[in-house]
Amino acid sequence: MATGLSPDLQEATQSLIENLLASEAFIRYRKAETRLNTDREARSLLERLSQAQARLRQNQTRGAVSQAEIDELRDLQAQVQRNRVIMEYAQAQQEAVYFLREINNEISALLGVNFATFANHATC
Amino acid sequence: MDTLELSELDMADPAVVRAAARHFAAALAESPQYKAFEQAAERFRRDHSAQQALQAYQEKQNAWRALIMLNALSLEQQSELESLQKAFVSHPLVQEYLKAQMDFASLCQTLGDVISESIGLNYAAACGVSCCG
Repeated sequence: MATGLSPDLQEATQSLIENLLASEAFIRYRKAETRLNTDREARSLLERLSQAQARLRQNQTRGAVSQAEIDELRDLQAQVQRNRVIMEYAQAQQEAVYFLREINNEISALLGVNFATFANHATC
Repeated sequence: MDTLELSELDMADPAVVRAAARHFAAALAESPQYKAFEQAAERFRRDHSAQQALQAYQEKQNAWRALIMLNALSLEQQSELESLQKAFVSHPLVQEYLKAQMDFASLCQTLGDVISESIGLNYAAACGVSCCG
């Protein structure tokens, strides 16, 4: 736990984390993540998709995209959408995100400010 | 199979997770950083001169929004807008508010990082916060 936090805040943060991890949405998400990480076919497919997207982006900036590259990308996208392990992971992650947003609304309602906005590091 | 596996675990009821979230928010609201932020915001809201400085700046900004977007302000307009902005941000209560906001944001970022690292998702990004809020 980060230093400089009051014992009460440390305890409340730890309790929130433990409860989030014990929620159905996060249990499903972590299980789906483990399945994805141990499925070689799914990982290889995602890797090939990522490489094809990067190649296409590079060639787009040079104005040299071929039809074969577009076809390859579409084929990989279709394979990803047919892969049960990947799709279950995507669905589980989406559900975890929705649940986290509900939790953030609960925190923000009590504070009167959006906690996630203040927790965000990025600046324009 | 999955349902059976999940039901065997000690799963937290959503109402319990929400209660933990409220407990977390209450603990955060007790922090010196949140109290200072709330007090500074209240002082800023109640101060006539600070509100006037804000209003003067916002009125010009709104009036010239289209020109600002087109980057077509004249030098005089640019200078007037900068002077109004300077008057606003250099107001002691605005300075105090911005400092308190930064301190509270720093605490929230620390907490957000701890949560993100533990749950395996970027908290702010998952909650739909981009760099522009």
